[in-house]
Amino acid sequence: QSLEDCPLDEDEDTFQALGEEDEDIDQFNDDTFGAGAVDDDWQEAHERLAELEDKPAAAREQDGPGGDDTDLLGDHEDTLAERLTRLVIDSELEDPAIMQAVQTRTPAQQPAGLNSSIWDGSAVLRRIRGPLLTQEMPSVSVLDYALPQRPPQAREEERDPSERALPRRSSSPVIGSPPVRAVPIGTPPKQAAVPNFNQQILCPKPVHIRATMQQRYPAPYGERMSPNQLCNVPNSSLLGHPFPHSVSPVLTHLQRAQLLGGAQLSSLSSQAGRMSPSQFARVSGLVGSPLPSVNPKLLQGRVGQMMSPASGFRAFFGAPPAPPPSQPQHPSGPGSHLQSLRPQPQMFRPDTTHLHPQHRRLLHQRQQQNRSQHRSLNGSVGDRGGHRSSHQEQMRKDPYANLMLQREKDWVSKIQMMQLQSTDPYLDDYYYQNYFQKLEKLSAAEEVQGDGPKKERTKLITPQVAKLEHTYKPVQFEGSLGKLTVSSVNNPRKMIDAVVTSRSEDDETKEKQVRDKRRQTLVTIEKTYSLLLDVEDYERRYLLSLEGERPALMGERKQKICDMYDNLRGKAPGQESRPSDDHFMQIMCIRKGKRLVARILPFLSSEQAADVLMATARNLPFLIKKDAQDEVLPCLLRPFSHVLYHLPLGTVTSLVQQLTNLPQSATAPAPTNLHLTAVLQNKFGLSLLYLVLSRGEELQSSDANTELMQDNQWTELMLMATRELLRIPQVALAKPVSTPSNLISLFSRYVDQQKLNLLETKL
Amino acid sequence: CRYQRLSLSLSLSEKHLVLLRDGRTLIGYLRSIDQFANLVLHQTVERIHVGKKYGDIPRGIFVVRGENVVLLGEIDLEKESDTPLQQVSIEEILEEQRVEQQAKQESEKLKVQALKERGLSVPRADTLDEY
Repeated sequence: QSLEDCPLDEDEDTFQALGEEDEDIDQFNDDTFGAGAVDDDWQEAHERLAELEDKPAAAREQDGPGGDDTDLLGDHEDTLAERLTRLVIDSELEDPAIMQAVQTRTPAQQPAGLNSSIWDGSAVLRRIRGPLLTQEMPSVSVLDYALPQRPPQAREEERDPSERALPRRSSSPVIGSPPVRAVPIGTPPKQAAVPNFNQQILCPKPVHIRATMQQRYPAPYGERMSPNQLCNVPNSSLLGHPFPHSVSPVLTHLQRAQLLGGAQLSSLSSQAGRMSPSQFARVSGLVGSPLPSVNPKLLQGRVGQMMSPASGFRAFFGAPPAPPPSQPQHPSGPGSHLQSLRPQPQMFRPDTTHLHPQHRRLLHQRQQQNRSQHRSLNGSVGDRGGHRSSHQEQMRKDPYANLMLQREKDWVSKIQMMQLQSTDPYLDDYYYQNYFQKLEKLSAAEEVQGDGPKKERTKLITPQVAKLEHTYKPVQFEGSLGKLTVSSVNNPRKMIDAVVTSRSEDDETKEKQVRDKRRQTLVTIEKTYSLLLDVEDYERRYLLSLEGERPALMGERKQKICDMYDNLRGKAPGQESRPSDDHFMQIMCIRKGKRLVARILPFLSSEQAADVLMATARNLPFLIKKDAQDEVLPCLLRPFSHVLYHLPLGTVTSLVQQLTNLPQSATAPAPTNLHLTAVLQNKFGLSLLYLVLSRGEELQSSDANTELMQDNQWTELMLMATRELLRIPQVALAKPVSTPSNLISLFSRYVDQQKLNLLETKL
Repeated sequence: CRYQRLSLSLSLSEKHLVLLRDGRTLIGYLRSIDQFANLVLHQTVERIHVGKKYGDIPRGIFVVRGENVVLLGEIDLEKESDTPLQQVSIEEILEEQRVEQQAKQESEKLKVQALKERGLSVPRADTLDEY
């Protein structure tokens, strides 16, 4: 052919040869331009592997590095269990939906890789940190974008030698070079290539997507698997005739690029073929050797911030097993079809330590139920034949049962659990923690009393992440001048230039002033409430703290109490005198304020509390009027009564004075005592009066001698009070919360029998 | 505050009950879930409750966007049959529902009227939903 004809012919050939070899189109093909051309002869490798196909037992040679390859290839010890656990070895955060083609399986698995799909869990991209098994990488052409390889599954049958990876295509050293499809999606899988185990550092990891080699399309519907599974069926000779894979998951360009990026970085550490830690280290009991974990950096772009919590999360679940490089690599076994073979995820026990013991019990119960169900179906668990029949059973019962792979389910629940991670569960999850604490206390109490069965005392363990201080560092690139100013959630940019202008006092109208005052009060209440919550919490903190810290805590607490009191009384720092009750009254007019006062009272000192009490008594009619709608005042009764117990008679006397407004001032009209009337007509007022009187009586009766000085005042007061009480018609009296019993004896001192009877009937 | 979710519900392919934000109750086999709580329900049935009666309307396959899910729970098949509620036909339950809605609307109207007479107005609940 003439030279001029060549190009055209080439093109035609190329198109024709699309189904077979694609390298002509690829300008970035490493084989042509890059390292592949220099180091690697893919053609040879391919030839060799093609021979391998024909000689299953014999040909185990592989090109490239990998003396260990022979071991790996020959290794078909993978049990179902191991493959299952490999299923579990998820990249922590990646989206199973974009599961990539990177295989982390050992060469033994590689041959089967032809059947992998993007649903392949383990056949995933490496984590950027995760050491990768060089060994396991199947042919690692960046440019291969067929479906990911699949490990051979369910090895009841002989190993299918055709299930082998394509020859490794050395890839372009350029990071992020455009992915080129060496084998177009949809082409029937090529027969085995020996995986190249000598990764070059710069070689992006596979990213090796292969078309599924064979699929099982059984005639009976019962055996048919879901579309996912169909993609994943291993290329097993026993499983039926090969089918060209018609559904090829396609990675987007972005994903590929990310894959490349991830693979690139991960391959850096993959020389030694170490195992990546697995977050399901617990299940490593099932696996002989540490499992490769292939956590792609792929998702970093998508879920970047999840990476760090994920590692923390992982750490919680189990330390990564130390990866001895010498151990034979086990193929990571994704393979959703395994899922279908399993009646239940029996081998895999999800980490349930975060669940409450009761929940965990329920969960295990249910698992056991299911297990026993399937046992009855199979006859034997763990028996592969049994698995298959139970699988078929299950398929018959519910063909859609396994649309979600266990891997995917775990992924979702992982995300959910991550959201539950908390550095301070007491703060974040107060009600739940308290609820279960109460339950446990109850059960502990019950146990102490009776001989109840020993209940689980294990505490609920929430995954707790250590508090990490994340200081935000702006993104930096090498070689650039200065820092990029990128606005992100950690580094928000000011979007609105809002200026706060404070109004001057003069301009405001009366209503506005009133409104502002009320707002001020509300703010004060809120601030005081925060202080109160803190103070109430000190007991707990005290218990949790170290010895050295305790004095400091006590000091803090005292200070806060003082602050609260100052807030209540409206004393600004620096002010000395508190001439008016105005501030306090403002607070007391608001329902929340009254409740606040009720809660604060126990913490105040005696004088402070008495002060509050006096202020309340003094202004009681006003308060009563304001409380008409809310009727919250009675909540103050209990704390008031507690305060009263500590008050001396003098204070009590003045209290009564305040409450009854006796003796009345000269200006007030003689027969009426509006103050007292209002008090008596209000439930709270009356109850408070009774309480105070009762306290006075108590004091008098208990220690008559020392109070002689006050006696006169008290006696006079009592006389006047009783006179008033007599005067007021019964109907006007409110119904008190409680009538103290010693009131009668109190009144008996001051009035004669007749009047006493009258009083009695009134009370 | 947060709450502890059970990973139990991810033993999928059990009957689940989903309550949606618009008040609908769906019962079906949960086939798929994702991190946003988007759900795929299979052989779904919409259950309408009126008083002690309920009716099921078969709906087929549902794909529910996660933001509309209020709660999701697994149905205990043993307990499912153990209910004091009475199942009725679709027509009947729809009729009951219509009657109930009407009664509600009437009382609501009266309430609003009474408030208006007193010079007050209560914002409607659905407008509050925005916040």
